[in-house]
Amino acid sequence: MSQEHEHGLPPKSSVSRWFLTTNHKDIGVLYLITALFFLVFGGVLALLFRLELISSGADLLGSMGYNQAVSTHGLLMVFWFISPFAFGFANYIVPLQIGADDLAFPRLNALSYWLYLFSGILMGVSFFQGTTFAGGWTMYAPLNTPAYIPGEGLGATSVVLALIMFTAAVTLGSVNFLTTMYRMRAEGLRMRDIPIFSLSINLTVWMMLFAFAALLAALMILASDHILGTTYFQYSIDGTTMATDADNPGASLLWAHLFWFFGHPEVYIVFFPALGVMAECFQTFTGRRLVGRKWFIISMVLVALQSFVVWMHHMFLTGINLPIKTIFMATTIGISLPFDLMVFSLIYTMAKGRVRFTTPFLFSLGALILFIIGGITGVFLGAIVLDYQFRGTYWVVAHFHYVMVAGATALFGGLYYWYPKITGKMYNETLGKIQFGVYFLGFNLLYFPMFIAWETPRRVFVYPDGLQIWHSMATAGGFILGASFLIMFYNLFMSLWRGEDVGPNPWEYATSAEWAVSSPPPLENFPGVPSYATGKLEFLDDETVTERTERAPGAAAHGHAATDGGTATDGGAVTARAAATATAMEPAHETAGEEHASHASFWPFLVSLGGFIAFLGLSGVRTGSVFYLSLAAVGGVATFGSLVGMTREPFHAPEMAIAERWPFERVEKMKLGMWTFLASDIVLFGAFIGSYAFVRVAYGWTAWHHDLIPAEHVTMPGLINTYLLLTSSFLVVLAMVAAERESKRGTVAALVGTFALGVGFLINKGLEWQHLFHISTEAFPNGWGLSTNIASSTFYLTTGLHGAHVTIGLIICAYMTIRAWNGAYQGDDRAIEYFGLYWHFVDIVWLFLFPLFYIL
Amino acid sequence: MAVSLITYATVVFPLHGGDVRAPSAVFDQIFEVFLLLGTAVGVVVVAYTMYHALKYRDDGAGTDPYADKVERPEMGEMPTGGAGGRKVFYSFSISAIIVVSLIAWTYSQLLYIEQGPDLAQEEALEIDVEGYRFGWDFVYPNGHTTNTLYVPQDRVVRLQVTATDVFHNFGIPELRVKTDAVPGQYTSAWFTANETGTYAAKCYELCGSGHSLMTTDVVVMPQDEYEEWYAETNETDAGGNETATAAETDQRITAEATALGGAPA
Amino acid sequence: MDWKGYTVIYVVLFAFATAQAVVEFAGLVDSAYWAAFALIMVLSVIKAVGVAAYYQHLRWEPRAVTYLVLGGTVAALALTGAAAYSIL
Repeated sequence: MSQEHEHGLPPKSSVSRWFLTTNHKDIGVLYLITALFFLVFGGVLALLFRLELISSGADLLGSMGYNQAVSTHGLLMVFWFISPFAFGFANYIVPLQIGADDLAFPRLNALSYWLYLFSGILMGVSFFQGTTFAGGWTMYAPLNTPAYIPGEGLGATSVVLALIMFTAAVTLGSVNFLTTMYRMRAEGLRMRDIPIFSLSINLTVWMMLFAFAALLAALMILASDHILGTTYFQYSIDGTTMATDADNPGASLLWAHLFWFFGHPEVYIVFFPALGVMAECFQTFTGRRLVGRKWFIISMVLVALQSFVVWMHHMFLTGINLPIKTIFMATTIGISLPFDLMVFSLIYTMAKGRVRFTTPFLFSLGALILFIIGGITGVFLGAIVLDYQFRGTYWVVAHFHYVMVAGATALFGGLYYWYPKITGKMYNETLGKIQFGVYFLGFNLLYFPMFIAWETPRRVFVYPDGLQIWHSMATAGGFILGASFLIMFYNLFMSLWRGEDVGPNPWEYATSAEWAVSSPPPLENFPGVPSYATGKLEFLDDETVTERTERAPGAAAHGHAATDGGTATDGGAVTARAAATATAMEPAHETAGEEHASHASFWPFLVSLGGFIAFLGLSGVRTGSVFYLSLAAVGGVATFGSLVGMTREPFHAPEMAIAERWPFERVEKMKLGMWTFLASDIVLFGAFIGSYAFVRVAYGWTAWHHDLIPAEHVTMPGLINTYLLLTSSFLVVLAMVAAERESKRGTVAALVGTFALGVGFLINKGLEWQHLFHISTEAFPNGWGLSTNIASSTFYLTTGLHGAHVTIGLIICAYMTIRAWNGAYQGDDRAIEYFGLYWHFVDIVWLFLFPLFYIL
Repeated sequence: MAVSLITYATVVFPLHGGDVRAPSAVFDQIFEVFLLLGTAVGVVVVAYTMYHALKYRDDGAGTDPYADKVERPEMGEMPTGGAGGRKVFYSFSISAIIVVSLIAWTYSQLLYIEQGPDLAQEEALEIDVEGYRFGWDFVYPNGHTTNTLYVPQDRVVRLQVTATDVFHNFGIPELRVKTDAVPGQYTSAWFTANETGTYAAKCYELCGSGHSLMTTDVVVMPQDEYEEWYAETNETDAGGNETATAAETDQRITAEATALGGAPA
Repeated sequence: MDWKGYTVIYVVLFAFATAQAVVEFAGLVDSAYWAAFALIMVLSVIKAVGVAAYYQHLRWEPRAVTYLVLGGTVAALALTGAAAYSIL
């Protein structure tokens, strides 16, 4: 590949390129390699405990070691392997398929990757902090709280923090992909027209946006229970009271609800990209268009929507009432039906085809067959009477491995399918087929005996002797499955040198745009501006583009320069959000003449490194150790500093001159990014408020106020803060009006006013908290602190999260005030408007927190 | 709840003579039907898939046998659907009918499992179950507490299950009874054993280092033997002689683990 | 919308917040809890809609942005409502 037009990006042979790159293809490759590393990591753990399970009661890891291996295997595979592996393809392929030159916010994309990598490293570090998390990947409460974690439990805290970091990466990624797909499609490409893999990614990120926000809430609460001492997930505080007299009877179920509200969509988050790969491979290698494509798409949309209302089928035995069980049984059966349609659609796509059994097709077909078995055994679980008995057994283990690893199977097919595109070389087909054979054999030998030995309880190393033969078989299968990857790694590695060079399209009947450009594609993807306006892919030259944009003056407006920056990371990395939001506020860096898009930035790496250090520090702050405290401080400063650096760095990511943007034609990309992010923030706060409502209902809604809240907790501070926030919101709007009228003085005055009111809000809150911490009454002799009871925990944490949002807003506000002082924003109030969106949102949240936590 | 249990202190023990349909019978019947149908559907669909894959495989001859019948996708075309949607719908409808009717059929069985046999006629034996790390306390109507569950044959036993530390799950696999033991919550489940003997109860939710060994015996006794045993417990109070403390249970777990060659943390 | 319009919205928001506190100071929360609850929450919803529609300009954005926001809201409400109902 030629290096002369890489716009400041070092060549691929240089190590520094991989730290600097913001290009979606480079980042896709980084994701793929990193995810494969975590596959090996999680796989080796699995082999360890499969070895222990070769016979009942064998002792290889010790009981805590066994629990750690089982738990981290699940976490690594679900979070750090399978989704990021799919997002390696999504990064590489989606922009190519939809005709974009990169993602909407390239630097945020790099930030997503580095946060992901460092979250995985933090997960790895947790193994060296005594013990890592050992409470199962579902992390049920209260086993996930420090009270039930042996030793200091720092490793477990690190895992929770690593998951928060991972979730921040996912949220950034979701915002980025949605903005990209709604703002940067090639001309003529309606949403329904984008290739099925891209469509599957679109629905996946929609689910991610909302589901991971709920997970983030659960994890933030858990981290707070670990670090700050709140008591959300502890049903009684001193551990001696009987369950019936518990202070917080909703504790355990709260986790289950939050986790599964995320957890079930997660199943489809994992599976959809695989489905997309299967559909692509079926079309290409059968030489047929997907049968019933429209219905295939409608099915996927239905599943994506319904995935949010099936979570309680994981909780049938928790004592939830019969009506809700019935409802969730119905929605569960309902969600299985669209999959039947998709399976038949794939089967009939083969009819009258020219089916070529290449490696990618073998993996796709294999995945389909495995998925059929996984699906049928899933119907068993839909029958609640059977589900009751399958609960906690290997039936569940076997079923979800048949589904999830079927998904992984399709993704390995995707790896072979796109390998020539990514590397420009063809892999060795014979070795590929051999790997498939070994893989398929290993897979079934590993997981099928689990159906037969289904009476084994999950996560135990002692099982009835009669089942030993099946467990031994499974262990053998596990090693065969593992060995198949050695073949794959060898094949893919050696083919980098020995593989035959391929042209743009090595596959007959491939149709999507990634195959229309060279392998690997050039840095900016296309030889011209891609367009489907004529119903077929063409590349328009600059002249045609200018002609078209002049004809449609509305469209030309989109051609203006805009910096990449984007909305924010999520609340998990609070400072990360602060300056990432600030970045969004940075308007276009004015540059004269034509400027090329930027492709390099070192800041995403530095921000993530800082975040990693800060989180590692946080994992140990409750011990008071100087080492951990200084890590947290250094990391915090490093994160904040690099975010400021990132904000101030000129980075150019132009919007496309011509693009299909339904249904967000009039929503500029930064604004869309901000709104998308706010939508996930709604779910984050919603889950916090939902948690409050749930534990309060479990306790007794009306008794709560009487039993748990001191009389000193009065309405007035809340009312004053409501006034302060409402007024500050009003001032932000006035700042916008002033900037529109090019009144510098007005703009600055309004922003200063906003800042002052926000600070007043925090001071008032601080005084109120201080007072409540130190009250001494008959009911609360030792004050009303974070750990006093569940009501105080919910109060401090929920309003604290809101306070953190206010603080971040203030940092941005201060930054913008300085810029306004220097003359910015006059005549272009967009930056103020986007900050306003965030600030008003924080205001709206308070409008609900005020009555819920102060009046009712 | 506790109050209502105490009122059973001098309960009579009605027999149902084995005519109550046990949860295990319900499970076995449904499972059998699902296994048969599931296997049949699986074989048919997988075979159908393979049939399509093999029948339409490219023979490598380089000619397209369906060239005159179908149009092949071309590079750069706008994605569209292929023909044959009707067949997809037929197949889908068949599968939907099978799935929905199967589940609907099991729903009536679910109601039976949820509500239990008619309690007006079958006065059930109510036992409180408390899970803790790593054992179970069974509290009888008279307040007597054991770590092994003793129940009479042919009598409906209703369990009120909770946990005192972390989330557990109480299950007796052979009797097909299982329910979550959630701290702060009570769940209920019922079963009846038609044959005497010793069964195993296990924990089905990961609860810590001793989870794998959190098993206990369930002893099903003939009615008269049970009555005799229960009468003897009447004098004892809740701090009954047979209750192990959590510390003792930990010792037991450690001993068992050591016997297996390891030591729990 | 000019500053006058924004001011009207601000006055309404301010008044509604005061009304919520008045409901409590008047003792309605103690005497008729659920009526007070409904009243206060309805006032909050109206305020939130006002801020979103006018200050955040949702009224003037493509409807799709509103749907995006509603999507998040419905997801959060589904979680809250169904979870709380399941243990009633």
